[in-house]
Amino acid sequence: MNLIQIDAQSWAKGIEKLKAVYRTFGPKKEKNDLEFKELQAGELPELHFQNTRMSPKALVYPQTQAMFTYSLDESREDCRILKEVKRDEKPQAAIGIRPCDALAFKLVQRNFDSREYQDVYWINAYEATTLVGLACDHPCSTCFCTSAGTGPFGEEGLDVLLIQQNDTLYAKAITQKGESLIQAAGWKSAAAKDAAGNMDALKTKAESEISAFVETDKLKQKKIMEIYEAPFWEAETFSCINCGTCTFVCPTCWCFDIQDETHGKSGVRMRNWDTCMSPLFTIHASGHNPREHKYERVRQRFMHKLKYYVDKYNDGIQCVGCGRCIRSCPVNIDIRKICNKMNSFDPQSCSCEVASS
Amino acid sequence: MTAYTDKIRQIASKLLTEGKVDMVIGFRKGSIPMMNQPLFIKTPGEAQELIWDSHCALNLANYVTNRKEKIGIVAKGCDSRNLVTHIIENKITREQLHIIGVPCTGMVDRHKVSAMIEAEITAIEESGDSIKISGNGFSKELKKTEVLQENCAGCTHRNPVIYDELVGELVPEQSGVDPYASVREVESMSPEEKWNYFEDLISNCIRCYACRNACPLCYCPTCFVDESRPQWVGKSQDPTDVRTFHLLRAYHCAGRCSDCGACERACPMGIKVREFTKKLNKDCLELYGWEAGLTVDARPALDTFKADDPQDFIK
Amino acid sequence: MKNLLEHTGIEPGRLHFSWISSAESTKFVDVVKKITEEVKALAETKKYVKTSTQG
Repeated sequence: MNLIQIDAQSWAKGIEKLKAVYRTFGPKKEKNDLEFKELQAGELPELHFQNTRMSPKALVYPQTQAMFTYSLDESREDCRILKEVKRDEKPQAAIGIRPCDALAFKLVQRNFDSREYQDVYWINAYEATTLVGLACDHPCSTCFCTSAGTGPFGEEGLDVLLIQQNDTLYAKAITQKGESLIQAAGWKSAAAKDAAGNMDALKTKAESEISAFVETDKLKQKKIMEIYEAPFWEAETFSCINCGTCTFVCPTCWCFDIQDETHGKSGVRMRNWDTCMSPLFTIHASGHNPREHKYERVRQRFMHKLKYYVDKYNDGIQCVGCGRCIRSCPVNIDIRKICNKMNSFDPQSCSCEVASS
Repeated sequence: MTAYTDKIRQIASKLLTEGKVDMVIGFRKGSIPMMNQPLFIKTPGEAQELIWDSHCALNLANYVTNRKEKIGIVAKGCDSRNLVTHIIENKITREQLHIIGVPCTGMVDRHKVSAMIEAEITAIEESGDSIKISGNGFSKELKKTEVLQENCAGCTHRNPVIYDELVGELVPEQSGVDPYASVREVESMSPEEKWNYFEDLISNCIRCYACRNACPLCYCPTCFVDESRPQWVGKSQDPTDVRTFHLLRAYHCAGRCSDCGACERACPMGIKVREFTKKLNKDCLELYGWEAGLTVDARPALDTFKADDPQDFIK
Repeated sequence: MKNLLEHTGIEPGRLHFSWISSAESTKFVDVVKKITEEVKALAETKKYVKTSTQG
């Protein structure tokens, strides 16, 4: 592999050069925590952190996005005609994104860019984005990426992988897009020959620091209805308050709701993130709600990520192990525990075990 | 406070063995530091799961709304005040409850502690008034009083106001504390400064509604933000809609809020959402001499009319 | 209502409450005059005005 070495000075210079070509985003301190924000002139992305509080999915898929505008003014020729909102699809770069969050875009792509449906909003934004990853040297205790299809040095979904060793950064281009970004930044000094070996050692070390895991090997072979009707749901979801935190912080939650907001005679059709935790997510116009109880809504989230998705795409779970939902849940619902329960669920022998959980 | 654990287990086990209740609602140790998880148990054998420490800050009254069972519930001062409000508002009956009262010396502010340390806190231990936090390569001793939730530091109802039994001796109530210092600070600002203060306060709100849902007072079958006919408030991240949600959420708690702090604790973004509700609590106290949830025998301030109610606002 | 709105930055004088009997026509006129003057003096509000849906 071609490793490029970047010292502190050329790092700062390169980032400034990038800002001329890309809208450049990186982790920035925001009220006691880090979030992905656009870097202004002179600002560098924070590189010493575990992960941002919110996932970077909003860079491609904002929480609120105007799609169309319209007028209800009968005297206008364009009355009741939807007009597309101009989108800023200038190339953008996310610097310092974690490998788990990068893989998440690949998972979400299955939904927004399928054979049947192409979501131009998501696709165009995704294609305009170059993901510059930062390998995790100190994973959190709640990170379980190695059992969720990636790892602290995972490359899938990234265009460039950056690895930090002391004050030096090493960059590895993974895609053509990544090559172009490295060129635009003007980073070109090849790393010393032994660097690659050092990187491998760092990778092994970081992977060994992952202390949390989920078991997913049996999810596929389980019968949907058996897990669906498993008796543990009521007890395991008791503490849930049905807020949308887990879905909003999640890099792989993709559900949205389309709303028309009219003000006088003009209006906007927009989409907003939605959350399956809310009763409103499924309530019918008749008033009937097929997911009336909170355990049904929580079950839906886990069944979707850990069973329906698994069955549909046959490529693992719809989760990258970033651990945000565990850290942010106000009532300590832990996906690791639920996943393991689902994976080990045996309808024949469960009744007594479950009663005591 | 950790000594309460044994007593809670003992009481819960006894209640379930004797069949006095169908379930006991309490806390179990969470899977990450500073997070305990509300749970219910239905058999005496499960009582071992119950615990008590300074991270039981959620309000368990939130979990009994409209339940039909006979329930044993672990309740600190604020939880008990919300049980009172629940009883007044017919969300549960007194007869359904066996209240296991916990005299409380305050809960640790998880947002504050996390903000004190750059690295991840992987363990937290407490003994008496000292809290020890540790993580990869560091360990730090803190005084519990330094890291209390703000509502706990200013709390004047640490003992349960109603209970069937206690897990320990009543603790002395705090005097000379000022729960409304930050309200007064805002009151002294100009309208423009006030506006900007609240704009900044909620600027990172993601509208997950954790504040609303963690609150025992928010039990409407359909919340005003979820109504669509008519749609009172937009659902986007427009700052006007975000603020409308926060403002109206607070109004709906007026005269009912026990300042338990569950809203603020639940917020994943660390927003000080109590800045809205606290002003109303202060007004209720100053205008009507009212504090919510102290007795089942009085109707809440905004639910009654007295000839001498202040009415200067009507010109 | 008034207290929290003003606490969160709405100018005093923007929101008024009055009790006027149907027999108090002169009070009605006075109150409306006073409100109009006070609100005019504060100029157009930028607060609680939603711009994102104004096409």
